[in-house]
Amino acid sequence: MQRRDFLKLCGSAGLGLAAPVGLSPISRVEAASADSSNYDGPYYVVFNASGGWDTTYLMDPKGINEMNRLYKEGDILTQGQHRLAPNAAHIESGMSNENFFKKFGDDLLVLNGLDYSVNNHSPCSRYMATGKLDSLAYPTFAALIAACQGADAPLAFLTFGNYSSTGNLVPMARVPYLNSLNKLANADAVNGVARSRYHDDFVIDRIESALQEQMNARVSQVRLSRVERSQSMLYAAQLNSKALERVTPYVPKSSPKERLSRQADIALASFKAGVCVSANLNIGTFDSHANNDVDQMKLLPELLAGVDYLIKRSEELQIREKLVIVIQSEMGRTPKYNKNNGKDHWSIGSVMFMGHGIQGNRVLGATDEKQFLVPIDPKTLLIDEDGGIRVRPEHIHSELRILAGIEDHKFSKQFPLKVPDQERLTDLWG
Amino acid sequence: MQNVHDNSKRVQVFAATLLLSLATLWQINVVTVSTAFGDEESQQPSDAPSKADHKGPMCFVVDNFFADEVWAKVGERTCLKCHNAKGDASESTFLLRDPSRDRLNRAVAMQHNRKAFARMASAMEGDKSRLLQKIVGNLDHGGNEVLKVDSTGYQILDRFVHRTNGTPDNGPAITDYDAPPFFDGVEMISPQRLLRRVTLSLAARLPSKSERAEVNQDGLKAVDVILDQVMQEDAFYERLQEAFNDILLTHGYDGVAEGALSYEHFKSRLWYQDRDPRKGLNEEEKKELPYSHPKMIAYTKLIREYREGMRREPLELVTYIVRNERPFTEVVTANYIMVSPYTSRGYGIYEELVDKFKDSDDPFQFIPTKINALQNRNGRTAQESPTGFYPHAGLLSSFQYLKRYPTTETNRNRLRVRMYFQHFLGIDIMQLAPRVNDAAAITEKYEIPTMQASDCVVCHKVMDPIAGLFQDYYVVDGKGIFGPRKDGWYEDMFEPGLEEENLPAEERWRSLQWLGERTAKDPRFAVAMVEHVWYILFGRRPLLPLEDIDDPLFSAKRRAYQVQRSEIERIADLFAKAEFNLKVVFKELVQSSFYRVDGLAVAAKDPRRKAELDDIGVVRLLTPEQLERKLTALFGQEWGRLTHRESKFKILYGGIDSKAVTERMTYPSGAMGAIQRIMSNDIACKNVALDFTKEPSHRNLFPNIELNVVPGDGPDADAQIRQAIVHLHEHLLGREHSVDHPEVERTYQLFAGIVSDAKATQGIEKIGSYSCDRVDGKRLDDLHYTLRAWRGVVTYLLRQHDFLYE
Repeated sequence: MQRRDFLKLCGSAGLGLAAPVGLSPISRVEAASADSSNYDGPYYVVFNASGGWDTTYLMDPKGINEMNRLYKEGDILTQGQHRLAPNAAHIESGMSNENFFKKFGDDLLVLNGLDYSVNNHSPCSRYMATGKLDSLAYPTFAALIAACQGADAPLAFLTFGNYSSTGNLVPMARVPYLNSLNKLANADAVNGVARSRYHDDFVIDRIESALQEQMNARVSQVRLSRVERSQSMLYAAQLNSKALERVTPYVPKSSPKERLSRQADIALASFKAGVCVSANLNIGTFDSHANNDVDQMKLLPELLAGVDYLIKRSEELQIREKLVIVIQSEMGRTPKYNKNNGKDHWSIGSVMFMGHGIQGNRVLGATDEKQFLVPIDPKTLLIDEDGGIRVRPEHIHSELRILAGIEDHKFSKQFPLKVPDQERLTDLWG
Repeated sequence: MQNVHDNSKRVQVFAATLLLSLATLWQINVVTVSTAFGDEESQQPSDAPSKADHKGPMCFVVDNFFADEVWAKVGERTCLKCHNAKGDASESTFLLRDPSRDRLNRAVAMQHNRKAFARMASAMEGDKSRLLQKIVGNLDHGGNEVLKVDSTGYQILDRFVHRTNGTPDNGPAITDYDAPPFFDGVEMISPQRLLRRVTLSLAARLPSKSERAEVNQDGLKAVDVILDQVMQEDAFYERLQEAFNDILLTHGYDGVAEGALSYEHFKSRLWYQDRDPRKGLNEEEKKELPYSHPKMIAYTKLIREYREGMRREPLELVTYIVRNERPFTEVVTANYIMVSPYTSRGYGIYEELVDKFKDSDDPFQFIPTKINALQNRNGRTAQESPTGFYPHAGLLSSFQYLKRYPTTETNRNRLRVRMYFQHFLGIDIMQLAPRVNDAAAITEKYEIPTMQASDCVVCHKVMDPIAGLFQDYYVVDGKGIFGPRKDGWYEDMFEPGLEEENLPAEERWRSLQWLGERTAKDPRFAVAMVEHVWYILFGRRPLLPLEDIDDPLFSAKRRAYQVQRSEIERIADLFAKAEFNLKVVFKELVQSSFYRVDGLAVAAKDPRRKAELDDIGVVRLLTPEQLERKLTALFGQEWGRLTHRESKFKILYGGIDSKAVTERMTYPSGAMGAIQRIMSNDIACKNVALDFTKEPSHRNLFPNIELNVVPGDGPDADAQIRQAIVHLHEHLLGREHSVDHPEVERTYQLFAGIVSDAKATQGIEKIGSYSCDRVDGKRLDDLHYTLRAWRGVVTYLLRQHDFLYE
C-alpha cells in the first residue's frame, strides 16, 4: 500500500503519518527531512497573560478618572498609530512599553474594546482560546490550526499552560524542558547516545515494517470508533516521533532563565525542525486583585520581553516571516482600584497581533473614558456607537481561521463559530 | 444603593431557576425516550443497559418528535427554566415538569409536558399558534423574545404546531432510523480478558492461576467474587489514592506539606527539627555531617516521609472509608481525620495515640482520630466548640483540602464553592457561563452586582451562601487555614446557608458539618461519586449533554448520552441502597456493558448508529503510573523512568503534578511516541537476555524455548517458535491467539526475518550486544542471532496498542 493511500485510510483519525519506513535509519532521516510532514509554516504562537492583564497599562492607556496611579492622561505616549502607557520608569526588568512599541509598533495590530462577555477566569480563558463561550468541546485556535495543517507533525500542538482543549482533533504535547527534546530525539539509542543503538538497523526496519503491515491490516477490520482512532493516533505518534531527530540541531546549548524565553526556545526549535505548527506560551499570574501596579509592572514587561525574545530568536533561525503571533489575556482589570490597591476582573479588554499576513501600525476598536466598550462597524472597523457591534472572541477567531486558510476545513466546520456575515471583521488583518 | 429587598422575589425566582437549571444543564438525570413517532401507546425496549442487558418494557409513551426535537432541543433547555412551579413563569398556565428531577415519574412528566405543549400549539391567537407567538416575544411574553423566527428551535416548534393541528409538516422526515437496542452488534470482552484488565488496572498484577481457573469455570460470576478480593489488596488502595488525587488534586497544595498546619495553632508542626543531627552543632561540626552522611540521609528521609504523609491525609480518608466499607458520604461528614505516627506529631497528638499505632515508626500507617478545637500559641481558645473537638466534616474541613483551594479577599471562598460543587455534586458551575449583554456595564451599574443584578444573582444566590459556610476558614496569607475574617463576614454577600435554608446561628461553629450532612442527602452526591469511579475506570469523564441542536446527529449523540446517563443513575441508586459502599460502584461498573465493550460484530454503517457508538469501549491510554505498574507486573521489576521523583518523562508522557499540570493527556503526541519507543527498546534490553538465563520454569517471557531453536530448521522448530510467540502475545498483550492467528504469523515473520537478515549481513557478531545482552557482566552467546531477534520481537510487542492501552 502506498503511503498516500494509507494516509487516506487513516484519515478518519484526523492524523496522518510522517516518516516512511523500510529505509535505513540514515536514509530515513533524510527522507523525513524532505517529507511533507516537515511543516514549513506559518507557525502560530499564542502568548497568554494568564489571570487578566491591565490593558490600561499597555495598549489602551487612560490616565484619567483615577484609573492609573503611575501616569496621567498627559503622559500617554504615541508610536505611529499606537497609544501606549509609559512604564519605563516603573519597571525593574523585562521590556518597557516604550521599547516594545518602538521596536514592533509597525508590525503590531491592536484591537481595543474586546468583550469577553463574562468575568470569571475559567469561562473567559476558554472563550478567548476557542472563540466559543458555552462549550467545553471546542478546540483552541492553536489546536485547531495544528490539526488542520500539521497533524502528522510529532509536536504539532505544543502547550505550556492555559486552556488547551484539542477537541480530540490532535494530541497536545507538553515539553517542559529543553533537554527533553534531545533525549527524545534518539529513542532508538541507549541513553540517547546515537552511536550506541539498542538494535541493529535492519532489526529496527523490520519492526517498523511489521507495525506498518499490522496497521494496514487493521484498516479493513471492523473496529470500534475509539479503537480505530486510538490505533491510528498511536501509530502516528510513534512513527512521527522519528522526526524529532530533526530538532536536535536547533536546541540551544543553554537555556535562558526567563519563563517565556524557555518556552519560546522549545517552540522555535520545533518550528524550525518542521515538527510543530502552533504553540501556547503562557505566563501568570496577572490576577492582580492586590497591588495591581506592582504586579502589572513586573509581568507586562516580562510578557513583552518574551515576545521580543521569540522574535529575536526567530530571526536568528530565519523563520520570523513565518510567525503569526497572538498576544492575549482572558480578561481585563477594573477601571478602579479596590481597597487593596488591586484591580478586579473586567469583562472588557484588548488583544494584539503581529506577523505573517497582518498589517501593523493599526489600532482598531476602543474603550471610552470609563473603560466601557465602544462598538465598531464591522465593515469599516471604525467606531460606530449606535449601529456597531460588540467585538467578541468569536469574531476574532472567525478571522483567525480565515487568516490561516482553514475556515472551510472539515475540522473548522465541525466546530462552527456562527458569526453572521454582516458581523464579519473582513478587513481585520488589513 | 438599590434596595436589596426590592429584588427579593426576583432573587428567589432566579435562585429557583438556577437550581432547576443546574439540574437541567448539567443533566443530573435525563429522560430516556425511544419510541416510534406517532405510536404513543406502543411498547418499546428501553435503552438502559444493565448487567443482564435489560430489555424490559418501554419507559415512556411520548412520540419521538416531541421527545427528541421539541423537548430535547427547545423545551428542556429553553422553556423549562422559567415555566416550572418555582420559576419566573410559575404563575403561567403553561407549566412544565422536569423529568430529570424525578426518575421514577419521568414518563408521567413527559406526558404532562407534551400535553402542555400541544395545548399551547393548538391555541390560536388570530391565525397563529400562541406557542409560536409567545416564543418570539409577542402576547406579552414575560421572557420576551426567546427564539428568533429563523432559529432551529422556532422551526421545530413550527413543525410541532403543524403536527398537532393536523396540517402538513414540510420538514424532513426524522423517523427513518429505527434505532436498535443500544448494545446490539457490540461484542463484549471475554471474562478472562476482563479479569486481566481488572487485576492489572486495580491491583497492579496479573490474575493468579486459581483466579483464572475460577473464571474458566464460572465466567463473569467469578469476576464478581474476585473483585471482592482485589478490593482488599493494598495495591487497590494505592490505585484509589492516585485516582482520587487526579480528581481532588490535594497533593498539589502550595508550599511545604506541613504548611497545612498553621504556625498559630500547631506548635509541633516542625517536630522533626528536634531530630536534626546538626542541631546544636557549630559551623565546623556541621561540616562533618554533609547531606551524604547516613545520619543526614536518615533525617531527610524522615522529613520527606512526614511531608508525604501530610499531603496524603485526605486520600487516606478516602481509602479508610472504602477499605472498611463505610458510607462514602463520610468524605463530607467524617467526624475524624486520618493521621500517621509522623503527622500526629505535627498535630501534637502523637502521645495520645501512640498505643493505637501498630508500628509507631511506620510513616504511612494511618488511623482515624479527632483533634481538639484549635487553640492559639498562647493557649487561648481560637475555635469555639461545645464538644471540645474540631468539627471535622470529612474533606470539607480538611486542612489540606482547604489549603489546596485557598480563599482570597476577592474570591471570598468562591473557589471552594466551585470545587465543592465539582467534587461532591458533580456540577461544574463554570461550565456554561451565562453570557450577559454587557458584563462591564452591570458591574458598574450596581453597587453590589452579585446581590442586585439579576444576571449575577442567578449564580451568586446559590454560591455565596455556601461560601459563607466556610467563613471561619479564612486565612488569606497562606499561613494557615482556620480563622475568621478580621472585619467579620461580608455583608454584601447572601447569608450563609444552602439553597434556601439559612445557617442557624447555633450551628455556626460546625457550619461545614452542617453542609456535609445536607450534601450527603443530596441525590446528586451519589451520581457524582459514580461519575468519579467512571473516570477512574475509563480514564475519561462521562459524556456531557449535547449543546448544538443544529448537529444533524443530535438525536443519536443524545441517545448515547442518555444511555450512559441511565447506567450511571442505575448504579447511583444501587450505591445509595448499599449505604454508599463505594465498592458496589466499582463492581457494578466493571460488570456493566460499557466497561465490557470489546468490539463490533459488524460495522455500523448508518452515521446515526456510528454516532451512538462513537464513545463506547474503555480504550484508554495508560498513564505513566499505570504503565509502570504494568511493566512491573509483567517483567517482575520496575522500569522507573516514568515515575521516579526525578523523572522528566512523567509530565512528558502526559502525567500530572497536581498543581500546574492537572489534566492527564489521553492522546499520544510525538513526544509520547518517542517515549514509547525508548520504553520498548529499554525494557526488551533489560529483560530478554536475563530471562533466557533463568531456569525455564522461572521465565516470564520464554518458558518453552531456547536460543538454539532457529526458524526454518524444520516443522518442530517452527512450531516451537510459534508457541513461544503465542505465549508472548498472551503474557504481554493479554491476547489468547491460536498458533495460526494472523498476528502470530506476523510476529513469526518478524522473528524469522530478523534472523534471516542477520544471516545475510556480513560482520554480525556471534555474541549478544554489549548494551543489552550482558548478564552478570558477561555477554551472552548468540550464535544464530535469535537472542537479538527475540529482543526485537519483545520491542515490537511493547509498542502495540494492546500493550499501551487498557
